[in-house]
Amino acid sequence: MESYKEYSPNALVAICSNLQKACEKQMRATEAELWKKLVAYFLTVAEEAENPTLSSLNSYIVDDIENSYTKVAALAEAEDDRGSLRCTTWGKKVTAIQKSVLARYEKQGGALLEESNLYVCEACGFIAISGKVPELCPICKAPTSRFSKIA
Amino acid sequence: MHAARNIALCTKDCVCLFVCPTGATDTETGQIDVTKCIDGCRLCVDACPSHAIFLVYDNYAEKKAKNPHIINALTTLLESKVHQETIARGLSSGEDAKIAKALALSNRILAEDCAREGLYMLPQNRSTRELLLSLKEKGTKKDFPLDAVEQLLDLL
Repeated sequence: MESYKEYSPNALVAICSNLQKACEKQMRATEAELWKKLVAYFLTVAEEAENPTLSSLNSYIVDDIENSYTKVAALAEAEDDRGSLRCTTWGKKVTAIQKSVLARYEKQGGALLEESNLYVCEACGFIAISGKVPELCPICKAPTSRFSKIA
Repeated sequence: MHAARNIALCTKDCVCLFVCPTGATDTETGQIDVTKCIDGCRLCVDACPSHAIFLVYDNYAEKKAKNPHIINALTTLLESKVHQETIARGLSSGEDAKIAKALALSNRILAEDCAREGLYMLPQNRSTRELLLSLKEKGTKKDFPLDAVEQLLDLL
């Protein structure tokens, strides 16, 4: 039934790191370590971006917001698939935050980060530009402990 | 089903030591000794005043199959997110390094969520097994950690 999908090595990185985290949550340290090995391997063979720029990144962000999320959300709604709806609701909000982070950075450049740090929510991907770590993720409500500071 | 402790919540009242019939909760690492823990006993889980102990399941039910159109759409989104992660990673050593690193991580988390909602929520799922089998079949390239794939097929 399932149409076989040929994943890019870049996608396999994320699929395997997702399963690594799932094993960590199940307290299966050995299995998590094995998934981590696969993540490391796929990272070495992953394709690199040609001429990466922040503006090309922005165009993908806009396309996801305007097209991809709307498509998945409509399908999920029709099927009453609330898990996929949850994924697209959070994802679309996070992507909109990415867009606004890029817009602010474009305007202010490095000055934006002079007195602020970047924090990423490990649960949903939300990015905060702030002097201190957020107490609660505004998108998924994860607590402070789920935020990673970008060095 | 065995008990595990969230050390960040534990207030060290040590009531678990009183109730555990085998001494599994009393260890120098702060983790519960799974070799001593009695399957499904949960005395420590119910006794803990700080709600720091929980049960970890060994068996997980197979998820209901999702609509293939949704899976395909989530896969498209997954590929888009990892492509954006790749662009951001390509910028993570230049002058925009900090913002690029944040965007790379954010996109990875979004991509992982698409993988999780699509086919790969559980390591024990049939679709995860099929993925491992296909990797095993194709894993003939130099440096591919075939042993890791084989061990995962054994363990999960």
